[in-house]
Amino acid sequence: MAWPDLSVMIMVCTAGCSSTSADTSDVQVELALKPPKPVVGTADVSLQLADAGGAAVRGADVRLEGNMNHAGMKPSFSELQETQPGTYTGTLEFTMAGDWFILVSATTPDGRRIERKIDVPQVKSP
Amino acid sequence: MTAVQEAKRSAHGDVAAAPRSQTTAFDVLRVPLLGRFLRWRHSRLTLQIPLLLVSLVMVVHAFWGPQLAPKNLAALLTWVHFRGMVVIVILLAGNLFCMACPFMLPRELVRRYFSPRWQWPRVLRNKWPAIGLFVIVLFAYELFDLWSDPWWTGVVIVTYFAVAMAVDGLFQRASFCKYVCPVGQFNFLGSTMSPLEVAIRDKQTCTQCHTKDCIRGTPAMVAQPEESAASEQLPVVQRGCELALFQPRKVGNLDCTFCLDCVYACPHDNVGVLARLPAERLAASGTRSGIGKVERRLDLTVLATVFTFGALLNAFAMVSPVYALEQWIAGLTGLRVEWPILGGLFAAALVLEPAVLLGAAAAATRAGSGSRASLLSIVNRFARSLVPMGFGVWLAHYGFHFFTGCLTVVPVAQHAALQSFGYPLLGAPLWHLGGLPESMVFPMEIGFMSLGLLGSWMVAWAVACEWSPGRRWWGFLPWASVHALLFVSAFWIMRQPMDMRGTFLGG
Repeated sequence: MAWPDLSVMIMVCTAGCSSTSADTSDVQVELALKPPKPVVGTADVSLQLADAGGAAVRGADVRLEGNMNHAGMKPSFSELQETQPGTYTGTLEFTMAGDWFILVSATTPDGRRIERKIDVPQVKSP
Repeated sequence: MTAVQEAKRSAHGDVAAAPRSQTTAFDVLRVPLLGRFLRWRHSRLTLQIPLLLVSLVMVVHAFWGPQLAPKNLAALLTWVHFRGMVVIVILLAGNLFCMACPFMLPRELVRRYFSPRWQWPRVLRNKWPAIGLFVIVLFAYELFDLWSDPWWTGVVIVTYFAVAMAVDGLFQRASFCKYVCPVGQFNFLGSTMSPLEVAIRDKQTCTQCHTKDCIRGTPAMVAQPEESAASEQLPVVQRGCELALFQPRKVGNLDCTFCLDCVYACPHDNVGVLARLPAERLAASGTRSGIGKVERRLDLTVLATVFTFGALLNAFAMVSPVYALEQWIAGLTGLRVEWPILGGLFAAALVLEPAVLLGAAAAATRAGSGSRASLLSIVNRFARSLVPMGFGVWLAHYGFHFFTGCLTVVPVAQHAALQSFGYPLLGAPLWHLGGLPESMVFPMEIGFMSLGLLGSWMVAWAVACEWSPGRRWWGFLPWASVHALLFVSAFWIMRQPMDMRGTFLGG
């Protein structure tokens, strides 16, 4: 990872995440934000994909969708680029303070689809 | 006294003595096309059917759609569009949601096969049940984060339909609307700020009317209108006002659902939808048909108080400081569950704060005017002046959500169609659609609240002039100070960053 020491893993592994569709893959998803306690504005995102054995999942098409937990808010979208094997980075904009969740949608080269919902509570005003 | 007796007593009242000010000549029912549509007896049904269909779609999506509030039609339409449009339509026209209320359609269906036999219990013939439900809904909204929970939003909608059917299936007349429905009470109070009112066109016509069909209803087989006075045993083919509002003595929009039954029942075509000044009728004193004297009804005082202070509380619960306050209380008390902390905040905001502020204003009014009236009677008299300020805050809050997110219904509906039918029936979701930027909505919020403040001051001044004509400033200033304090509080809340958080203590 490029900057794991600078961030805090706000959500580690997929055990506590609820899937938004019929995703039966056993791919582990770890997402880190910078700053670790996000504020309104653009945050750097680092996402790691690994299979059950811990091997990096390479070459995936990874997209993020950020939403507030209140209806009526425009979502933020982002596409991540693979910067190291299994590590995908990019940015995501948080447009308002409050509770957010990020929908991770990834497709691996062998066609597996990975979908996860990761909560991002307490986005603060700058 | 039963509701029917109450209605009959009103019907036999002295029409000429009813205090009514001059209304403007503009009558919506005389507007081409629109007036003709509204005068059509099935116009209400025509408005209700689309809302019922939308409600059914919402219920289906609540239970079987995505459980993510921003992608769910039930959560979006309930907490953003419905609430926003209700307050905006009330501001611009009148209580049109009650007119098109979808909850009444299943009730009408039930009543086709089952005629309710009971009268609504006398002890509950007031606003206390609705006040209790209003507070419960506000509390549940915060405690269970209903805005972010499609499934529970669906439960709320279904429960609403069920309760409306049960109450009006068992009890005669519009018991649910008048005594139970918290949304209805919200609309009744809000529509005191509306520019339209269902009212009579000509007093003299009512004075000469002997049938009083506007409240009794029109019996079947009546060849001449005046014969209906002797036709009380005949079945009613057009019901009169089910909320016991006798048109010639009706004052303002309180308890009026805009159902227009009185319009259809009047044999003299003497009921219209007339323009008037918003909040004008709030200042009126004296007996109102179906309501009595506002200034003597503690339940209406409490309803107006909960409506106003609840507006601030509901907005406050959406900004950052409330979570800091909750965490501070949790640290102080060691509590790790939210409901007792939230209950304490509700008690402080809806009981303690109003008691202190309104009590102090009443004491100042009494001292200044040299009156010996009880503090409670003064509060009862001036409490209605809170309503414009409260409505301004509701308008600012719900308007914020509506204006910043009104277009999100497009991609959410497109997404719902895509998921339901497997192909983009409504087109690919246009997720970039949102609404107005916050920077544009904020001045509107301030404008709404400023209008509310102005309205409250106008009502307080009118009440003060009547209360103590010689020392009207002493009556006015304490209440104007309360309104100003509420405005400043609301302004501060609206300045805070929205922090729509469903988690407590970061959990």
